[in-house]
Amino acid sequence: MNAMTRMLLERLGGLLLTLFLASIVIYSAVLLTGDPIAALAGGAKPTPELIDQIRLEYHLDDPVWARYWDWLTSAFQGDFGRSFVYKTDVMTLVAPRFVITLQLVMVTVLLILVFGVGSGVVAAMRGGAVDRTVGVLTSLGMALPTFVVAILLIWIFAKTLGWFPVYGEGDAGWDRLWHLVLPAVSLAVLFVAYISRVTRGSLVAQLQSEHVDTARVRGIPRSRIFGVHVFRNASPQILAITGTTIAGLFAASAIAEVAFGLGGIGSLLVQAAARADLPVVQIVSLLLVTIFVVLNAAADLWSALIDPTSVGGRSAA
Amino acid sequence: MTRPVLEIDALDIFAPTAGDPRQLVFASTLDVGRGEAVGLVGESGSGKTLTVRAVAGLLPEGFTTVGGIRIDGRDVGDMPARELRDLRARRLGMVFQTPRAHLNPLRTIGDFMTEALVHVAGTKPAAANRRALDLLDEVGISDPGRRLRQYPAELSGGLLQRVMIAATLAMDPDILLADEITTALDVTTQEEVMAVIADLRTHRELSMLFITHDLALAGAVCDRVNVMQHGRIVETLRAKTMRENAREEYTKTLMAASLDEAPPMRAAGDEGEPMLRIERLRKSYRVRRAGRGKETLVAVDDVSLQLRRGGSLGIVGESGSGKTTAARIVVGLERADSGVVAVGGKDWSTPARGGRERRRRAKIAQMVFQDPYQSLDRRQTVRQCLTEAIRVHRPRETRAELDRRIGELMGHVRLEEALLDQRPRALSGGQRQRVAIARALAADPVLLVLDEAVSALDVTTQVEILTLLDDIRRSTGVALLMITHDLTVIRRLCDHVIVMRQGRVEEHGTATDILDAPQAEYTRLLLDSIPRAGWTPRRRRLGRTSSLATVTRSTQTQNGR
Amino acid sequence: MSVVQIANGAVPAVARRAAKRDWVFRIALIVFGVIAVLAAIGPWIAPYDPTELYVGPVNGASSLAHPLGTDDVGRDILSRVLVGAGASVFAPIGVVLLSTLAGVALALAAAWFGGWVSGGIARLIDVIFAIPGIVIAVLAVAVFGKGLLAPVVALSIAYIPVVARLVRTAASRELGKPYTAALRVQGVSSPAICFRHLVPALVPVVAAQTAIGFGYAMLDLSAISYLGLGQQPPAPDWGSMIAAGQAGLLSGAFEQSVYPAILVVVTVLAVGVIGARVTTWAEEKER
Repeated sequence: MNAMTRMLLERLGGLLLTLFLASIVIYSAVLLTGDPIAALAGGAKPTPELIDQIRLEYHLDDPVWARYWDWLTSAFQGDFGRSFVYKTDVMTLVAPRFVITLQLVMVTVLLILVFGVGSGVVAAMRGGAVDRTVGVLTSLGMALPTFVVAILLIWIFAKTLGWFPVYGEGDAGWDRLWHLVLPAVSLAVLFVAYISRVTRGSLVAQLQSEHVDTARVRGIPRSRIFGVHVFRNASPQILAITGTTIAGLFAASAIAEVAFGLGGIGSLLVQAAARADLPVVQIVSLLLVTIFVVLNAAADLWSALIDPTSVGGRSAA
Repeated sequence: MTRPVLEIDALDIFAPTAGDPRQLVFASTLDVGRGEAVGLVGESGSGKTLTVRAVAGLLPEGFTTVGGIRIDGRDVGDMPARELRDLRARRLGMVFQTPRAHLNPLRTIGDFMTEALVHVAGTKPAAANRRALDLLDEVGISDPGRRLRQYPAELSGGLLQRVMIAATLAMDPDILLADEITTALDVTTQEEVMAVIADLRTHRELSMLFITHDLALAGAVCDRVNVMQHGRIVETLRAKTMRENAREEYTKTLMAASLDEAPPMRAAGDEGEPMLRIERLRKSYRVRRAGRGKETLVAVDDVSLQLRRGGSLGIVGESGSGKTTAARIVVGLERADSGVVAVGGKDWSTPARGGRERRRRAKIAQMVFQDPYQSLDRRQTVRQCLTEAIRVHRPRETRAELDRRIGELMGHVRLEEALLDQRPRALSGGQRQRVAIARALAADPVLLVLDEAVSALDVTTQVEILTLLDDIRRSTGVALLMITHDLTVIRRLCDHVIVMRQGRVEEHGTATDILDAPQAEYTRLLLDSIPRAGWTPRRRRLGRTSSLATVTRSTQTQNGR
Repeated sequence: MSVVQIANGAVPAVARRAAKRDWVFRIALIVFGVIAVLAAIGPWIAPYDPTELYVGPVNGASSLAHPLGTDDVGRDILSRVLVGAGASVFAPIGVVLLSTLAGVALALAAAWFGGWVSGGIARLIDVIFAIPGIVIAVLAVAVFGKGLLAPVVALSIAYIPVVARLVRTAASRELGKPYTAALRVQGVSSPAICFRHLVPALVPVVAAQTAIGFGYAMLDLSAISYLGLGQQPPAPDWGSMIAAGQAGLLSGAFEQSVYPAILVVVTVLAVGVIGARVTTWAEEKER
């Protein structure tokens, strides 16, 4: 077994263990809410027959570990349980909403890469006044939470100028993209500022490194120093942090979804929590954790692969 | 007479501060003729590195200069930036102290070797590759084709330094700027690198500005030597006659420090029971080799030694010889795999268990570490540091008695009591090391382990500390176990010597025998590698070519600190 | 390290450059001081009962009687902002204290004992890190019910990985320095090394992290209450006020949303500048 395979297997094992432990945390936290019967009965005072029926239907009399195991194995087989509130299969609730969240995240990622990484590169390369301006703007950006940007955008672009729709996800296609612009911008601002700073910081650290001194004294052209020695060396770090940020977007999008009335999984989670719709809370939580862990691991792996001196990179090269 | 390749004319260098700029280099003037090698010698903070960085255009941001720098007669002050970059790229080659930091870790040696050729001179990649192979061969690197595909992390420091030199030659420069290029290397590797440079200079018309703290080395490899102190060049001497012609007191001090030819210390009589006895000591580590998975490295292999009460034993060896590991096992900072450590008749083979046993051992054996900047807690004043060391053994000491003892310790290491309320940051390297020695003496130990205790210090400070240690040994009767890479240190301090190499003992005996009549070939090599009057570097053997392994963990995990 | 808003990870200090300029730092201190004082005495200086309906017109504009206008059910916005400042400014302190205590304890235990203790703690931290902040907040609401307690506990847990990893790295670095080896050779006891040398060495790092964490805790808490998972109506809170005022925004009544939004931004900016200054101080201490 070579070093590369071993590293992959180690990471995969760690990932599965983390997911397994997180699923226990999620399941047991939801159990602690107490008796779900009130929620299941839909507010009305339940009759004894109804209670028995519910207990049977949701296996509430089984021991906790058995119910957990049942839940986990069912989820693996694609049976995610039934919503207490909507009385439908959880899967049919989650699938279309996940598409909307995914679309929102993709537009946001585009903004983060173009403006976040872009402004960080420009700030590090140009220095001086450009760097200072970007610094001030990102300081401001990092104090602008999504919901604040959202209400400002609604106020300016939707109410005052009337350029964009303010509510809902629209129809598939261009209309969808039109509806996603403001939510994506509001979600992106903070992260654009953050990634801009990370990018600039990594690049400046490389610019000040001694091997760049060597390249300078050898008369290597500026553009090549920046591309080959500075950006290339900083990219594993930038990639790793950007990856973690993107992984977290799926959860963070809840705020933008709520602010703009988008029917994504984030807003579903918030609504389900408010109505104690436990199967939905469990599955969406588990989904978000899985997405976060898998994307994070992928970003880690990728940044290890593009570093030729790391274990994975060496044997891949 | 042709123009000098490099002229530095009344150069002042200023560092930016909050207020007025602070002047660090004062009217520095020197020149390097065609084909000439000129040394610039000084201790840390003398301004020698700033001077050469000003020539290379690598001063830190905000630094300003006044005065002239002329390369091939052209003043760099009034040259367009682009032209200046080109001039430096083609006429200058610079080599630095730490080759590992100065090479891009993500690029292969081949990329590094050909980069300037392809992107500055416009050579075709295939031609550049052939040239790189020739150059690596020229600096004596074996199997150059394989080296071109390797990453810097896979090569040893000595080999990387030769790669750096070879890469600068690619552009056929007129002058090599060498900034402490051998300081981070072992003494035998230093000789190899200097031999390579000497070879190059006979085959090419290559001038050199050689920056070093080692006057003997500069004297051996240069035609002329400039001595720099506190930002000023105080003296310029011809290397051949510098010993006779030196006028400045400072130059003479430097010379005495590095050119010490005093006879080695006579061993005290062989009478008396050994107070430290080590038998068949062995220690291995799991290590990570660059790009090649893990393997076991035997750091200390079958080492035995004895040290008498009041004696002074030196363990000498190059990096990776296992000398420091052996010392750390003695004081219980590492756990040996097997073997016996006995101190004063008691078994110390395993680290102390429990606080009481640790304190008991601490009263017997103490240690002084290499780096005086890191071995003191930066938050403690000297007084707090010494108080803590005394209180470990005498927790209920009265304030008056404590003050008396602190005064005594400060006297031992000849430090002003005015320094008692200073923190390490305010002290010089030598002062810090004195505090560390005083702290070690606080327990009244019978054994003092000194792990490269002077190697981080300037040469003049080294001499002071070594003299101090010798005085302390004579007045208190403490036995010294000196770990060092430097045979000059052994000469000044030790009566017995053990020479270690790659974990094993190569030779042991009295200092007189080893230094004057070495038996082992390796000991002779070590002795011959030391620069001195009339010394010329020679290529003797290939040094270590792969980088030192990174220790990931001890094979026997140490439980319970 | 904001975990609801930013995927957790070490964040470079906010407004680092601004903090170098003294006047920016002074303004930030004054702004934060004023807001903190107003938050502390808010309930006593509020001109109206913040929960009393129809003390003024519905969605009223600024007037002498109601300097910041009135909200969608006629409550006085100035009074609600003043009283709501308490939860918005002081709840983050709880988050920062709890997460710092837990994170430092875990990190010290891991650095000190090593071996399987360290492995177990690392795994625990990995698991916490894997659960996004919003999910932890939702689960906390499920356990503790709605109100201020759930988000404070949730964020305290969510911030543990950042604090623990930072402190663990700093502690390992400190334990790797020769001076701790020197102390052991001197015979100084392990608890003394830990509490007299290691813990003081970590103070600057922890202080900087605390200052920066405070800003993020504020941001995250207001986000959670914006989602309706925090402080419950009618109790005033900046985040929930912004959410409630969003409907009025479209009919032109910006006051209810925009004033608390400005306050959130201004406070977070001020805290960010202060945090950057503390970080710079900590870095100077390191040298």
